[in-house]
Amino acid sequence: MKIVCLIKFVPDVEEFKYDYQRHVLIRENLKQILNPDDACAVACALMIKRSNPETVIEVVTMAPVSVSGHLEDLLRLNIDQAILISDIRFSGSDTFATTRVLARYLKQTTFDVILTGTHSLDGSTAQVPSQLAEVLGLPQMSNVVALDTSSFLKGKPSFDVEHDTSIMTFSVDLPAILSVSRDSAYKLPYVAYQDLNRDVSSRIRVLSHQELDLQPQETGLEGSRTEVRRSFVKNMIKKDKVILNNDREGIEAVYCYLHEHGFVP
Amino acid sequence: MDSATLLEKLSTMLKVDQINTNHDDLYDASADRYKKYAKARKVLDVPLPVAIVYPDSTDEISRLLMFCNQNNVNVIPRGGKTATEGGLENWKELTIVIDALRLDKILKIDDYNMQATVQAGVPLQQLEDSVRKLGLTTGHSPQSKPVAKLGGLVATRSIGQFSTLYGGIEDMVVGLECVFPNGHVSRIKNVSRRAGGPDIRHIAIGNEGTLCYITEVTVKLFRYFPENNQFFGYLIKDVETGIKVLREVMVNGYRPSVARTYSEEDAAQHFYHFHKNQCVLIFMAEGNVGMVKAIANGIEQAVEKFADGILEKVDSKLIQDWFNHLNWSQKDIDDEFEGMKENDSHAGFTTEISADWGTIPLIYKNVMARIRSEFPRAGDLTMLGGHSSHSYCNGTNMYFVYNYKIKCNPEDEMRIYHHPLQTIIVEETLKLGGSMCHHHGIGKYRNEWTKEEHGSAYYMLETLKNAFDPKGIMNFGTIYPQEDGKKYR
Ligand SMILES: Cc1cc2nc3c(=O)[nH]c(=O)nc-3n(C[C@H](O)[C@H](O)[C@H](O)COP(=O)(O)OP(=O)(O)OC[C@H]3O[C@@H](n4cnc5c(N)ncnc54)[C@H](O)[C@@H]3O)c2cc1C
Repeated sequence: MKIVCLIKFVPDVEEFKYDYQRHVLIRENLKQILNPDDACAVACALMIKRSNPETVIEVVTMAPVSVSGHLEDLLRLNIDQAILISDIRFSGSDTFATTRVLARYLKQTTFDVILTGTHSLDGSTAQVPSQLAEVLGLPQMSNVVALDTSSFLKGKPSFDVEHDTSIMTFSVDLPAILSVSRDSAYKLPYVAYQDLNRDVSSRIRVLSHQELDLQPQETGLEGSRTEVRRSFVKNMIKKDKVILNNDREGIEAVYCYLHEHGFVP
Repeated sequence: MDSATLLEKLSTMLKVDQINTNHDDLYDASADRYKKYAKARKVLDVPLPVAIVYPDSTDEISRLLMFCNQNNVNVIPRGGKTATEGGLENWKELTIVIDALRLDKILKIDDYNMQATVQAGVPLQQLEDSVRKLGLTTGHSPQSKPVAKLGGLVATRSIGQFSTLYGGIEDMVVGLECVFPNGHVSRIKNVSRRAGGPDIRHIAIGNEGTLCYITEVTVKLFRYFPENNQFFGYLIKDVETGIKVLREVMVNGYRPSVARTYSEEDAAQHFYHFHKNQCVLIFMAEGNVGMVKAIANGIEQAVEKFADGILEKVDSKLIQDWFNHLNWSQKDIDDEFEGMKENDSHAGFTTEISADWGTIPLIYKNVMARIRSEFPRAGDLTMLGGHSSHSYCNGTNMYFVYNYKIKCNPEDEMRIYHHPLQTIIVEETLKLGGSMCHHHGIGKYRNEWTKEEHGSAYYMLETLKNAFDPKGIMNFGTIYPQEDGKKYR
């Protein structure tokens, strides 16, 4: 059984600071993190591997080589190998071009299932998994919140999908693409202390334009069909901090605020 | 001896209800607040003690210690369980915890000779409440006052929040009773002062359960004048200004009960209602009217002298309110514990050091710089700062406080976060001649620096251990470094 986890590293938007004077986001020193939905997908794969140690997990990402450190941390978590698809010519790729690059690699390899996230923190279009399914001719489902390991190991997994107010259970023939949601309970474990400095670099394979046999016009801005007309940062208004006492007046003020904003009747 | 035989022997010495082998209680007894997060997550890697025992008398303790000494059973004395440095952590397979639960009597409150005698298991709060009814105070007020017990407070050389006026526990203990591993009971008599050779109280005070079991303590009492309390607060430019004002007050001979300086970061977590991202300086003057007036004057003069660094005076009512809510009750401790089960976070850690006036600002600066540049997880820090809260004529302490997003397995937290941070603080302190442990004791995790802390005087400390506990049955790994304990680091 081989699981491919398609993952992406994104800026940690929770750490974004906003300059209220100039109305711009302060992007300096922003850390990259594993996209939260993708982290759940990897955690789900690790859970499967725990019940079936023969399972091979490969993480695949299209990213600059600067993410190698993050990939190494994943490899220290019982992930078998990492594919880093990296080339300066990929920069500027939209979801269409990204799909093309990823599909090129995935067509060359074998797998039983692709686990990925549903949304990414930065773009959040959720387009790549479904476009990939289209290109590879595979069934695909998003918003997966739970996956049943035993049916998975029998080759026809059943899984729960969250949809607005309901949770529906599906099953699917493999191979398939399942996009996991961060609303699932899957949590990526931490690297154990004794493994923190374990050398795993030999298990990262870097693939460039050339190895994937791509043409220059297939990737980057040239290979993209999306045109960004205009982008802008939403203006935010700085609110003054109000400190209230724990007395009748303070409680009343908090209640009125919650009421006005529809949190309490 | 194996644990079954140990239990069998204990049952011939004690009644059934004096021996606790409940699994959850033994798990709880296997570590203290040093490994609080791993403990809450049920991943402790240390052995469970075989039993917790609750002796009724000094005599019983004497017989228990004699038995453990003869049979190489490790003993961990226990009081209120608020230890923070691993003093209660168990590093031996064959261990019993001797808990002071039943030594819970206030034996005498003598309001003429101004002293109170209590058994080791009396919670400080209980004693304080009793003497307050007589218009008196013990003057001892550690933040753990509601929970910590007199035996533990003496055994750790604890200090309270009013120390600048009343002193640390070592200034308060008049006499005590303690039991040694060979069963010998020593009673140190209660006198106002004497020159009868070295002050042997100090063999028991601060021994952290490594030399003897403290069974009874007599402490001083003081008149209490809460109606005269005056509070002072200032926003100040930097920690150094605060330290200078504290020094000025102290060297001029004034003794405010509280004298503290907070860094911006620490001030922000304590004084959310007025800190304005500045450092904070606070005082409390306490005592009879004349004293308070003089101390208040002294504080104002010192503040005036360093007016350049004083940004703003704070409403004294705000300081008073804050002070009244500072102590940690058992409920606060339990709430933190429950929170740690669910969340990857806790209330943070502290490391308390001391040095002379000239050195403290340097240590502070060096520690901050080194942590920010060297600590591999500096990006996970959510809080890093400190305060000086106990001052003396010749110097002060620095209480480093820090917290972080815990991004590791619970069993690795200490190795990845707290211990490397503590290591930087201790190393920088020792390098400049300060003490690595102002008031929490050495416990088990600072024992790697005990020899460096004491230098050539370690000879005396080691000789005490060899003399009083030659078989090493008292609290294995605490204070004294042990090769065999390194695996729990
Ligand atoms: C929220 C909080 C706030 C704190 N604030 C302060 C503070 O302001 N000032 C301060 O100094 N400390 C403070 N501490 C640390 C702690 O409260 C003190 O070290 C206290 O003295 C421990 O007392 P205890 O009764 O809880 O002892 P325990 O935790 O039970 O034991 C502490 C150590 O003493 C030994 N011991 C206990 N009883 C005896 C005995 N009868 N004979 C011989 N050895 C014994 C134990 O083996 C152990 O090594 C704080 C701790 C917490 C959790």
